[in-house]
Amino acid sequence: MRRAAHLTRRRLAATLAVLGLGLALSVVGATLVGPAPASLARALAPGGAAGPDGIIIFRTRLPRVLLGAVVGASLATAGTALQGVLRNPLACPHVLGISGGAALAGVLAILAGASVASLAIPAAAFGGALGALALVWFGARAGGRTTPHAILLVGVVFNTFAAAMIMLVEALATYTQVRGVLFWIMGSLSTQSYGLVAAVAALALAGLGWLVRHAHDVNLLGVGDEDAYELGVDVEAVRRAVFVAASILVAAAVSVSGMIGFVGLIVPHLLRLLLGPDHRLLLPASFVGGATFLVWCDALARTALGAAEVPVGVVTALAGAPFFLVLLRRSLRRAAA
Amino acid sequence: MRGWRLAAAAAAVALAGCGEPPPTAPAAVRRVVSLAPSCTEIVWALGAGDRLVGVCAHCDHPPAVASLPRVGGYLAPSAEAVIGARPDVVFAVPSPGNHDAVRAVEAAGIRVVVVEEHTLDEVWAGMRAIAAALGLAAEGERLVARVQAELEAVRRRVAGRPVRRALLVVGHAPLVAAGPGTLQDELLRIAGGENVAAVTGALWPRLAVEMVVATAPDVIVDAAMGGERGDASVFASLTTVPAVRNGRIVPIAGGAFYRAGPRVGEAAAQLAAALHPETAPAAGAR
Amino acid sequence: MTARLVAGGVTFGWGARLVLRDVALALAPGELVGVIGPNGSGKTTLVRLLAGVLRPAAGTVRLDGRPLAAWPRRELARRIAVVSQDPTVTFPFTALETVLMGRAPHLPALAFPRAADLARARAAMARVDVADLEARPLDRLSGGERQRVFLARALAQEPAVLLLDEPTTHLDLRHQAGIYDVVADLCRREGVASLSVLHDLNLAAMYCDRLVLLAGGRIAAEGPPAAVLERARLAAAYGADVHVGVNDLTGGPLVLPRPRPG
Repeated sequence: MRRAAHLTRRRLAATLAVLGLGLALSVVGATLVGPAPASLARALAPGGAAGPDGIIIFRTRLPRVLLGAVVGASLATAGTALQGVLRNPLACPHVLGISGGAALAGVLAILAGASVASLAIPAAAFGGALGALALVWFGARAGGRTTPHAILLVGVVFNTFAAAMIMLVEALATYTQVRGVLFWIMGSLSTQSYGLVAAVAALALAGLGWLVRHAHDVNLLGVGDEDAYELGVDVEAVRRAVFVAASILVAAAVSVSGMIGFVGLIVPHLLRLLLGPDHRLLLPASFVGGATFLVWCDALARTALGAAEVPVGVVTALAGAPFFLVLLRRSLRRAAA
Repeated sequence: MRGWRLAAAAAAVALAGCGEPPPTAPAAVRRVVSLAPSCTEIVWALGAGDRLVGVCAHCDHPPAVASLPRVGGYLAPSAEAVIGARPDVVFAVPSPGNHDAVRAVEAAGIRVVVVEEHTLDEVWAGMRAIAAALGLAAEGERLVARVQAELEAVRRRVAGRPVRRALLVVGHAPLVAAGPGTLQDELLRIAGGENVAAVTGALWPRLAVEMVVATAPDVIVDAAMGGERGDASVFASLTTVPAVRNGRIVPIAGGAFYRAGPRVGEAAAQLAAALHPETAPAAGAR
Repeated sequence: MTARLVAGGVTFGWGARLVLRDVALALAPGELVGVIGPNGSGKTTLVRLLAGVLRPAAGTVRLDGRPLAAWPRRELARRIAVVSQDPTVTFPFTALETVLMGRAPHLPALAFPRAADLARARAAMARVDVADLEARPLDRLSGGERQRVFLARALAQEPAVLLLDEPTTHLDLRHQAGIYDVVADLCRREGVASLSVLHDLNLAAMYCDRLVLLAGGRIAAEGPPAAVLERARLAAAYGADVHVGVNDLTGGPLVLPRPRPG
């Protein structure tokens, strides 16, 4: 696809406006679909908010759609940032062990008897994610530097470890506790709390803001650590700042919704193909694009099987895997040419 | 004519010889291992609790079994532990994880009696099979008759009452209900209820919360376990649902509700009390 | 003219192995210094030390009198530009986007270019003959085109010191000389102080004001090309016999490898 030679403020604003419109329409559209019949007209009528249509739309669907939006935004933005700063288009939030740490902490909280309704599990998961981040960062550090190569290796090792621990916990858990564990593995956006959505949104926007500040430095990192250094970038500081911001985004998403895969891998790729690799555009675009993607995946998860629903992680994987294979083959063919 | 009778006799002898290994003489069945909580309860209800030499980790009823040696979990029993207990017979229910263990035990020459537990008919068949294996056929019939009588009593109690629409909740996050085709659904119908999750057609459907609003059950039977027990916050804002509006979210202790054994009568009675509270016998009577 | 970039007593090694020993060098504005020597003599390491990417184990490198370590990164990037040998290309930025990266040290955080920045970038691209490749992604460029784009990026940085590490490896005949024409022009007209690592001794002889011969991590010789490109010296440094003749075009030395007899 032929695109402009460089990024201008105008192109940035125009692209984000179009994507934003798409997200707004998606949120409205997704709120209107679901296994139960509900009429927006009746819900908006005076007194309608207390009736079944109002409750379905405003108490069960809209919070869930909005949570899907902020979780998708967080995961996609984190994926883009990590791919950029690690110079690896295959990096994704889950492969680096951050979400593994969150899931493990959440599982341990469930086993310790934490109630699902309380904030204990999301808080534990958040802590677990940050713990994993610290372990991976310092594990990869050598000679005062943390190279992308080292981060990827240590991250993969840690993620495998976390997955193994979760399986061990599953084996030791009682029958009733295993259910809670499965929730983490499959992911769920089901919520009725606008407060929760607002909390995640605040973290997501803060993370996006922090990342966008370093967006051009991430561009420069793409040419290599030394070249970036020679162009005036404090490579260590930028990599650390981006890694921390991305981890906070992943932590916020995983601690409230479990492990939803592929969003952090596919959305950055697709948008990079369409919009180019400039992170000043790609980061905010991933935010909006990731939100839209997950909103639609969850809408599909809610409606595909009629009255019973499918875990949203299954839909993102089913949408994601073949798509990713196509992308991979395209780039392999290009490399071979 | 004579050839036909000879052939039939030969066939009968052949059939008698193949299939299951000949049952051990009833008096010789002294050591019993149970790989499922329901089987443990049935063995105990038959009065043969003293023959149990090993039970699965989840077996917790009656309280006396707490002191029995464990042979692994319901999902993953330990073939070694089972064989090591030198049982004369092993009772098991098919579970996602125990096929290999069961096969290993059979390969060691130990008889395994597998019972199903999806429907009441299977429960009766299971009780009879276990009783037969223990040489307690008469006790088996008495047990079946007793439990059937309990269910009949529940039927009589709710007869003539309007059928109550109910949702049988098994978990809150994600929201999972007992669907049509489960034993719990059968018990619900005996207790005078209609399962609103029937519309999904799935055994254990995962439901979007909005489906609770759409199906508007009169009663929500909350059989969630573990950390979710007693916490009905997921339904709190669904004020148009009759069950929520009228405060008819009834928690049910998990034990009897999930065991396809002698306590199904008790489970049905609990359901009846939840659905039709006005028919519950006075406290103390049973 | 006082030297802009001065290295004194610089020693550097990886672990116990020393790569450079006690190297001293001075780069004055307007001069083009060539660094030659066999593989493994420490030429690339020297460039990285002069750029401030590596820190010497002993000795200092100073820019305008201040040690490199004392300069803030961005300030340094406004004055020193480097064209490295084989830059990583992970993401398909366009040629223009790549050259615009050279303006980053002069721009605030999000680095949106102003009209003047765009003009400078385009001028730099025209100077190295990649102007028509503006919108082409880097992964669609040939090795030589890419090398020229990275040189344009260094030019767009408007540096006072330009360091080049074998900038002509992928370039064809036409462009090899062209690059050094540009660099020489920069030195004479804009007073840039340049240092380039070269493999081609004759190109070095033609364009460089001064040559530095590195061998075994030490400076084996330093001076005008005619003085450094001398048979015995080169034989000692490269371990190969050479013939040094006269370059008809320039009157300077012409170095040829001497085939073994028989």
